[in-house]
Amino acid sequence: MDAYFYIIMVVGLVSTVICLTAGILKKAPNDTTILSVAAVELSLLVYLVGSIVRVAGGEPIAGEPWEFWGYLLTALLLPVAAVYWAILERTRWSNFVLAAVGVTALVMAARMNQIWY
Amino acid sequence: MEEAKNVTAKPSLEDTGTTPGVAPPGASSAGSVPAGSVPAGETSAGDSSAAPAAPDTRNTGPGRLLIAVYAVFAISATARAGYQILTKFSEAPLAYLLSAFAAVVYLVATVSLAKSGRTWFRVSVVAVLVELVGVLVVGALSVFDSVNFPHETVWSLFGRGYAFIPLLLPVLGLIWLYRRRPAPNRA
Repeated sequence: MDAYFYIIMVVGLVSTVICLTAGILKKAPNDTTILSVAAVELSLLVYLVGSIVRVAGGEPIAGEPWEFWGYLLTALLLPVAAVYWAILERTRWSNFVLAAVGVTALVMAARMNQIWY
Repeated sequence: MEEAKNVTAKPSLEDTGTTPGVAPPGASSAGSVPAGSVPAGETSAGDSSAAPAAPDTRNTGPGRLLIAVYAVFAISATARAGYQILTKFSEAPLAYLLSAFAAVVYLVATVSLAKSGRTWFRVSVVAVLVELVGVLVVGALSVFDSVNFPHETVWSLFGRGYAFIPLLLPVLGLIWLYRRRPAPNRA
């Protein structure tokens, strides 16, 4: 597990906790929960840029490269899709949708690390 | 259309919080009633006596979370089955065809839950029941006949590789479908 994974893990878990708490407190999605999901997207973008730099620098991916990039691009789409889905109907339930983004990104980042090394 | 039905069925102002799912342009106005929107969503879904007046949709309130989780499983199951079939199909054709079948079930469940109307309701019920049978049968086979089912699918070991969410989803799905079932007297 590399630094990219740990960044996504911390940001993802914090985002999930924030969104879960907001959902339990019966709040609709607000700036805090949406920005926490945006932070997950940002950490995934850092992983994307970092990975591009590493591949350009000649570092090999141990597993299937297209599987790695597939995971990364799918993970990048998730926060966007979740925020879109959440703001279409702003109820507490949408915060639980947003909460799913952080843990999903965490699981996907773990898998990406497995593929890379 | 759904929007109009929602409005007539539930005159309370609070209910706007549950309906902007079908009215994206009104999302900003919905933001003014975040707190009130919550109990409204729960009562309209939970009160079975309101069923005849309730709109025939399942894409609101907790249903949105359900659909989102189904969508994630549809994507991951499709990707996984596609990967297995493209790279190592000959290793375990049955397991990988099961993976593909599971992916189709999740896709159908996701789309049908998001749609309104009786037909889509029936499609949802069938898809979720097939999913429940699938996870139970494949889960049991992978435990008791691990020689013939050594290869991983979403449903292997009752979905243990996915935190048992595949086992939980169809149960929650059936509960949600029951609570949001179409009114019996409407044809």
